[in-house]
Amino acid sequence: MNASHTSTAVPAFVPTTSATTAASVLLQLGAALVLGLVMLYGVGFSEASVAHNAAHDVRHATGRPCH
Amino acid sequence: MLFRRLFLCALFVGILAGFFDSALQRWQVVPMILAAEAYEGALETAAHSHEDGAAAHSHEPEAWAPKDGLERTAATVLANILNSIGSALLLLALMSLWNRFRGGQARSTPGADAAPLRHGLLWGAAAWFCLFAMPAAGLPPELPGMQAGALQARQLWWLFAVLCGAGGLAVLCLVRTKWRVLGLGLLVLPFAIDAPHSDGSPFVGFEAEAAVQMALLAQRFVMATALASALQWLLLGVLCALAGARWLNPLLRPVEPSGTPAGVLR
Repeated sequence: MNASHTSTAVPAFVPTTSATTAASVLLQLGAALVLGLVMLYGVGFSEASVAHNAAHDVRHATGRPCH
Repeated sequence: MLFRRLFLCALFVGILAGFFDSALQRWQVVPMILAAEAYEGALETAAHSHEDGAAAHSHEPEAWAPKDGLERTAATVLANILNSIGSALLLLALMSLWNRFRGGQARSTPGADAAPLRHGLLWGAAAWFCLFAMPAAGLPPELPGMQAGALQARQLWWLFAVLCGAGGLAVLCLVRTKWRVLGLGLLVLPFAIDAPHSDGSPFVGFEAEAAVQMALLAQRFVMATALASALQWLLLGVLCALAGARWLNPLLRPVEPSGTPAGVLR
């Protein structure tokens, strides 16, 4: 997975040879998608009382079922 | 690495959008929630005065809750930021997928600089449709104190409506054959399976006058949340598209036969 390329501070306009393979792109984008879903679950759906109480107003404001 | 950059973009975009969301909600949405809680509080006080105290409180286990005021605002800001980061991860991943595999990258055509802005607004509008409008059409945003169906049933229906909205929109926009009409079917499917509602009035237990006020407040709340979430999603879409164009697209260019990434020099 693109392991040879460790420098991440490459400015966007510099041609890089780090264009990633399709499989690696899919894997990394999939991981980001799953991470996002987990975060949205925690904020919007988790039934833990603490999560519910902290995110209460946000759940109501974003139209998620809350009580 | 793509994942690392995408995560940093989502963090950056999410923090900005989270503060924006919180400020926007202070305008209409949060005051309405607080007003509804005042009605709810009056209702609970009235209900408890008829029972003996021990039984009345047995259904509320002691869990941490932010104190009203600064602590509650801070919790809401934090939740908004986490919500925006999660949403940004979703949007950035899907946008990147699109840019990489459907050739949606801005080429060196006239007006290419405006493309991320337009893409961002489109993605934001689509996200608002799927994640707000679709579920809200069956389960309008609720105020504290309103009676509703069982929580898990509503959460499942909410999720189902979101998935059908996303699937339906994708089919309508991406399928080029006559089968695209199936997307319309997906869009109405959640409403064929009716959303779970409570059996009685959502304002059962309120006095007549309070119930009228709550009903009015609930109507205005739907409009206020629709407007606020639309602005939030449009901003998030634009920020994600700009961040993606600047920091992610260079990593997404497929390798051309010559060995240099396509479209780098523009």
